[in-house]
Amino acid sequence: MSDSKKVRFVLTRFDPDQDQVPKTQEYEIPVRPDWKILDALNYIKDEVDPTLSHRWSCRMAVCGSCGMMVNGEPRLTCSTPLSDYGDVVEIAPLANFPVVRDLVVELEGFMDKFKAVKPWILRAKEKAVEEGTHRQTPDELHAFKQFSMCINCMLCYAACPVVMNSPEFLGPAAIALGHRYNMDSRDEGSRERNEVFRGEGTVFECSYANECTEVCPKGVDPAAAVNQAKLNAVVDWATSFVVPRGGGK
Amino acid sequence: MKTLMLRLEPVIWLLFGAGIMLGTLLLPGYLLTVGIGGPLGAFAADALSYDRLHAMATHPIGGILFRLVLLGLVALPLWKGAHHLRALSVDFDGHHRDGVVGSLLYAIATVGSLLGIYAVFFRL
Repeated sequence: MSDSKKVRFVLTRFDPDQDQVPKTQEYEIPVRPDWKILDALNYIKDEVDPTLSHRWSCRMAVCGSCGMMVNGEPRLTCSTPLSDYGDVVEIAPLANFPVVRDLVVELEGFMDKFKAVKPWILRAKEKAVEEGTHRQTPDELHAFKQFSMCINCMLCYAACPVVMNSPEFLGPAAIALGHRYNMDSRDEGSRERNEVFRGEGTVFECSYANECTEVCPKGVDPAAAVNQAKLNAVVDWATSFVVPRGGGK
Repeated sequence: MKTLMLRLEPVIWLLFGAGIMLGTLLLPGYLLTVGIGGPLGAFAADALSYDRLHAMATHPIGGILFRLVLLGLVALPLWKGAHHLRALSVDFDGHHRDGVVGSLLYAIATVGSLLGIYAVFFRL
């Protein structure tokens, strides 16, 4: 690759044992025209500087672990062509998350938000096995399928201006996932989730900047989910005065 | 204050949502018709005269609808504005002052709406 093009990468480095604040380090490496951003990071780690820490796994935009800020925008590095960028590429850890080391962010708070929306099918009473499966029409599937395509890559949290200012906000992916179960015809837990949606970290904090949808690599359209969830949470709140609430757990 | 706002959020958001619909979609048309179309002679000069409109507003049945529309025109954009300004305040690093700013803005919208109700239903 001696005659190939060279690109300068400006990477954010942070070693919690030594650094007070993150710093940057530059690497100029030869690149191939068909590389994704992740290929360059792996080249740097394998050939230049083994101390670099970054997360990745599947290389096919499914596992959701290689999200980083590329020239200031949240991107899945495995599916972002290097050829989209010029001679200098800046790579930083995902915005709006605590940094563990270099390009690796802390997931704990994000996972707590996921659990908070109860992302599983809730039933008042589980159907007995001999009663057969829960059947769904294509329309019923269509109502939530799009929102189930999320890969938890957290790009939407890095892009969201509300997450930036209100760390307790449930955030796009978690709300989209909760909404996905609320829209599932097999599920009976929407009242519980709507209470979560109206509680601390409420869906109403969303100011509809639509950035989550802009950066989503899987076409989930979290902004649509959040805003549908707002309306559903309002309708649920209003009907709670009319229809008595009992059981439902 | 934050807790109270959180509990009232469904109401606030409904008023805001209605304000968006009205303020963004309908109000421009209304302003275009009444504010620009009228002076340019799009309809008879006395079509919107005080006597005609007053008769409309005091009509036993249609009057109520007319007053509700007037109230919507007065009150709902206030909620739209209040909510937008609150979001703007938060966006400009104002999360810590959201309780004060939000309550103040919604208080203004509430007072404006109450004045609107008074003006439309008790003064016409």
